[in-house]
Amino acid sequence: MLAESWNRVPPALPIGRYTNARSSVSIVAMYDDMVAVIENRPLTGGHFLLSLDAPRQAPAVRPGQFAMVRILGRSDVLLRRPMSIFDVTAKEGRDGGPRRARAPRILKLLYKVVGRGTRLMAELQPRDKVGLLAPLGHGFFEEEYLPRAHESDEILHVAGGIGIAALLLPAKRLAEAGFRQRLFFGARTKDDLVGVQDFKPLVCATLSATEDGSAGYRGFVTRPLEEYLTKHTDQKFLLMVCGPWAMLRATVELAKRFRHPCLVSMENRMGCGLGVCLGCCIRVEGEGHEAYQRVCTEGPVFWAEKVVWETERKLGIRD
Amino acid sequence: MTKKTKPTGQAPHNGRASGGADAGRALPAPAEQFTPQIETEIAGVRFQNPVWTASGTFGYGREFAHLIDLNQLGAICVKGISPEPMEGNPPPRIYETASGMLNAIGLQNVGAKRFLSEKLPFLRTLQARTVVNVFAYSTEDYVRCIETLNEGEGIAAYELNISCPNTRCGGIVYGSDPRLTEEVVAASKRAARYPLFVKLSPNVTDIVMFARVAEAAGADALSLVNTFVGMAIDVETRTPRISNVTAGLSGPGIKPVALRMVYQAARAVKIPIIGLGGIASAEDALEFLIAGARAVQVGTANFYDPGTSPRIVDGIRDYCRRKRLHLADLVGSLKVPATRA
Ligand SMILES: Cc1cc2nc3c(=O)[nH]c(=O)nc-3n(C[C@H](O)[C@H](O)[C@H](O)COP(=O)(O)OP(=O)(O)OC[C@H]3O[C@@H](n4cnc5c(N)ncnc54)[C@H](O)[C@@H]3O)c2cc1C
Ligand SMILES: Cc1cc2nc3c(=O)[nH]c(=O)nc-3n(C[C@H](O)[C@H](O)[C@H](O)COP(=O)(O)O)c2cc1C
Ligand code: FES
Repeated sequence: MLAESWNRVPPALPIGRYTNARSSVSIVAMYDDMVAVIENRPLTGGHFLLSLDAPRQAPAVRPGQFAMVRILGRSDVLLRRPMSIFDVTAKEGRDGGPRRARAPRILKLLYKVVGRGTRLMAELQPRDKVGLLAPLGHGFFEEEYLPRAHESDEILHVAGGIGIAALLLPAKRLAEAGFRQRLFFGARTKDDLVGVQDFKPLVCATLSATEDGSAGYRGFVTRPLEEYLTKHTDQKFLLMVCGPWAMLRATVELAKRFRHPCLVSMENRMGCGLGVCLGCCIRVEGEGHEAYQRVCTEGPVFWAEKVVWETERKLGIRD
Repeated sequence: MTKKTKPTGQAPHNGRASGGADAGRALPAPAEQFTPQIETEIAGVRFQNPVWTASGTFGYGREFAHLIDLNQLGAICVKGISPEPMEGNPPPRIYETASGMLNAIGLQNVGAKRFLSEKLPFLRTLQARTVVNVFAYSTEDYVRCIETLNEGEGIAAYELNISCPNTRCGGIVYGSDPRLTEEVVAASKRAARYPLFVKLSPNVTDIVMFARVAEAAGADALSLVNTFVGMAIDVETRTPRISNVTAGLSGPGIKPVALRMVYQAARAVKIPIIGLGGIASAEDALEFLIAGARAVQVGTANFYDPGTSPRIVDGIRDYCRRKRLHLADLVGSLKVPATRA
């Protein structure tokens, strides 16, 4: 499956041409099932790694896609919560190790407790059920970025906080294809630097930053990134970014200044995840009803130039 | 989950077979031999069942094709269509509330022409009927929109969304002013090639008056209700949760009020009523039917549980079989104690 998609590489798009749902990619497979919790492992800083037994969803997942999770039987948390698909793995064998030959079956979500819905998610126990609608959205699809990746000396992943969850699967895909990758990871404090172990075998280096200086650089992740880009102006990079709005915006600024193509994975409140409520729209280049596109359908991944950053406010999401 | 087979139990709703009393029965209950008729007819149009999806909550149908069998629906009411494409409001557009949600999407849509060329051909292939929700900001534009849509084949009816401000009359909402309601319904009816349903706004003190006004102006049926105007504030930043400040409240939280309005309107007019507002289960839908609605629409529930509408169809059929009633016998069959009648 992988080899096949790597071979079908369309010619490079000039910067300024964008991807959206009307491009070559059509998303068909999505399943809505009640699935069982396998494990809900607490990590540092109020983060959890939730493993779900998702035999229909897991094999269909592409990097950068997300899931809508429904907490069952709660009228106060009515709408589903969007969560990036952090990882998919085969069912672990009796010996503990994954059986490589088997189709993926376990879908993993890495989440942080921030409100009512995620607080209820944190209470989930093995064998509890959740509603899982997945995979959804237009993710980091190689048929769109591969030409750019081939032109680059290195792929730079830039994560802000829980944004890390969107980047593991694309990093895995790129590592399999032999690309050189580097991770820049910023968070508030050391305890928020979760999931980073999984990147170790995939990237040549990880540069962390924390706002309180408890690990790595003190300050925002854009500082080590800027230093790196300044030092390597002779090289070409492709950036893949996910994080809070302010961090996305600052990173996109840098990418623009140093003229590197940049893909961003956006967030917004979501009503349906299916493209019908139009609640998740963000302002993009375009006019009329094209001026807003759906994070759940045309996104969550956009080319950075496509997004109108200047006029946008906070989207009602507290960073 | 969505492909769930029909429940064999005699549960009154929602496919949650009750087990219990019925479980031990040796012979099939006689009720199972009764085949209830759940077709419904409104303004001369036959619908295979009374369960429709509400405008703005089901896109243009196709979005759900991977999740449910669209042919199980009675009708699909598409996202509101305006004469020209519309941009919509800046984010944030939605916010979750206790048992409901607020939305101020700003009626973003592709416009009448592109609806006909891009969306209608697919809808036409379905057994579910297509009801086209129409809105505009002036009476002339309502008429213009309908005239454009008249060219489309395979439209079962129009549903006029009158919860819009009339920008030429100082922004008064059509559906909250009887004179404007009458004007827009009469003009739209004259223009319409297909039956005209009028979707009433619940943001009025006397729903009965508006139901009567719309009927007198020529409406073929009424759908009620649209969303209730509400708001929410982020106290940390002291800013509104929704960029538009006020927004429409929908979801299970509004059901009792919507049900009351459907009940009152059904008693006041002769034309059929289509009930909606917070419907999330077969029992909810049955309440509206018993209160007098000839069909129901499922809205917000589509967002969090796309399987809701097909489950409601099954639940209504099971209920009718168990009660040995056809849909027509059920509609408006509320038994009100004599002292209250
Ligand atoms: C495509 C996408 C992928 C995401 N992936 C992840 C992930 O992998 N891990 C993770 O922990 N979180 C992820 N999020 C954010 C996650 O959806 C929210 O944290 C969650 O919905 C909050 O639910 P709650 O009920 O706990 O919070 P609420 O009580 O609803 O709100 C609490 C706080 O969360 C913020 N919030 C609410 N909804 C969203 C939202 N849709 N996006 C961002 N912030 C929100 C609110 O502004 C508020 O400050 C993702 C969001 C999107 C859109
Ligand atoms: C996101 C959203 C968009 C809507 N868009 C429309 C619309 O375009 N036209 C319309 O008449 N009603 C629209 N509605 C109102 C619904 O059709 C319905 O009347 C209302 O939500 C109440 O039903 P519910 O509680 O089942 O959702 C919208 C509702 C929501 C939640
Ligand atoms: S979340 Fe409903 S359209 Fe994107």
